[in-house]
This record gives sequence, C-alpha cells and structure tokens, in this order.
Amino acid sequence: MYALCLRLAADATVARELTQDTFVRAWEALPRFRAEANLTTWLHRIAVNAMLERRRGEKRRAARVSLADDEDEAEMVVSGVVMAPDVATAIDLERAIGALPPGVRRAFVLHDVEGYTHEEIATMTGLAAGTLRAQLHRARQLLMRVLSL
Amino acid sequence: MSEHTSPEDRLDELTAELPREVAPPPDLWPAIRAELAPRSGRTIHWNPRWRLAAAGLLVAASSSIITLLAVRSREPARESSVVASTDSAPTAGERLPAHLLVAERGYARSIDALWRTLDERRDSLAPSTVATVERSLRIADSAIAEARSALERDPANRVLADLLVSNYERKIDLLRRATELAPRT
Repeated sequence: MYALCLRLAADATVARELTQDTFVRAWEALPRFRAEANLTTWLHRIAVNAMLERRRGEKRRAARVSLADDEDEAEMVVSGVVMAPDVATAIDLERAIGALPPGVRRAFVLHDVEGYTHEEIATMTGLAAGTLRAQLHRARQLLMRVLSL
Repeated sequence: MSEHTSPEDRLDELTAELPREVAPPPDLWPAIRAELAPRSGRTIHWNPRWRLAAAGLLVAASSSIITLLAVRSREPARESSVVASTDSAPTAGERLPAHLLVAERGYARSIDALWRTLDERRDSLAPSTVATVERSLRIADSAIAEARSALERDPANRVLADLLVSNYERKIDLLRRATELAPRT
C-alpha cells in the first residue's frame, strides 16, 4: 500500500498521509465492501480516489493550473528533477516516475508498475480509454527520454 | 542488458525490477492503529462478513511492517532472540467442508515447515524484528480464527471459505517473508 501511495504521490509526506487516509476510509467503507472482490484492488482503488480528491483540492486552492499539469511544461519538470542521466537504474526510474506529471504518473504506476488493465484503471479513475492510452504513451516516452534509453 | 534490447523493452525490464514493497515510516502503522482504534468500537453492530473483512484489512496493513523489517534486517548488528511460536494449526473442525479440511492440513504443513526454518534462523533476528513478526502473526491468527469460527456456523458460505483460505495464505506469506529476513545460519 505504502509503495503505491508513494509512487502516486511522489512525496513521502503525502504518501504517509495518503496511506493513513486509505486505511481509515477503508475501515469506514467496509460495510460496502463486496467480499468476493479482491481486498488489495479495493484498497488500491480507495488510494487512487483519495489521491484524486487530494489533487482536486489542491487545484481548487491554486490560483492557476499547476505547471506540472501542462504537457508542454512536463518535460521541463522531468528534465529538471532527474539530473545527469547517468546509468539507467531502478533508482533513477523511481526518481523519474516521481517527476512525471500527476496524471501520466498515475497511469504509468497503475498500469506498468501495478499491472492493472486499461479497463480496471478506467474504472478506478473514471478516465476514458483513449485518455489513458495517451497518458501511458506519454509517460513511457518521457521516461525513456529522461533515462536515455 | 543485451545491446539489442529496445528502449521499450529496457523500460519494461527496469519497471519489473522495481520493488513491490517500500518500507513505510516506522510510525505509520501505529498512527493508523490509533486512527482506527476509536472506530473499531463501533463495529459491534457489523455483520460477521464486515468484521472478517476488517480483520483482512488489518492483515493487509500489517504486511507493510514486515517490509519495514526487511530494510532493518540489512543492518549488520544483530542480537540473539527467540521467536515464540504463534502456530495456528487447525483444531479438529469436523463442521468445516471436507475440501477445506484437506486444504487446512496442507496449510498446516506449510506453516510448520516455515516455522521450523524460522526457528533455525531465529538467532540472526533482532528482538524488534521478532516482536513485529509475532505481532503480525497474531493478527493473521486472529483473522484465521474468526473466519474459521464463522465458517463453522455457516459451512456453506463460499465467501467465508474464500476468506479463510485467503487468511491462511496471508499468514504463510508473512512467515515466508519473515524467514527471508533471517539469513541462513
């Protein structure tokens, strides 16, 4: 759970709050849990929703749209954080994932890291399939570029 | 990496190498427990299925603690310790469906084998590691006992059967992770 929250949030403090929030929400939502469902998937969905709500709250508070949400700015954000593209290691990949814009990061983490299908992610996030595919493509392009693959 | 590996394949390789678990901050699980404690008192009116799912939730959360220990276990200094058995070998449960009794015997064998392995390596585990493993296993045992008890009252309930199996598998997973924390002596 913490690994997913950390990769979704790309921030240890937020990941901690998100993990805690997820378990509290899950506890409160247990009466709605269908026992035939997979508990981990259910928890992941709660975490994704909590993250989405958090993002919406941040956007409302922000006077303008975050730079990281702007696809044109995204590459700058990624390139700025992942310094000196040395050897492509898993640590570099973690950092590069953390520097992705939130939307494409979420798509990559859920699909490529956690192994959810497009349909499952669409259910979790409410994203259209086309949007999800575009985000995944974008995430992979940015990661390959920043890791010099 | 092969020099012929494509960037796409290399990205997939790197992604597959990412750790499935990341050690959470040490105070995270106590904080979650503190948050849930006042709420748990309100579960008295929940039906058994929800309470069992709650137990599963606690087991799911406790697995993060094992992850934390995986990081600590790499520290060179180790102290001798004793792992007390919290074995949850099934008692005679004639009211359970036959296939579950067979499955339980298989789980019991796996749990016994893992306990033996863990016992052989116990001296390499730090006391804090032992304490956390025991705490996690107690949660798993509690979840197993509760699922089993409910299933004895309602043997035809497939949800309860699945939950019991799931709880056994979680316990085995916890034990397996614990043995992996302890290097071979």
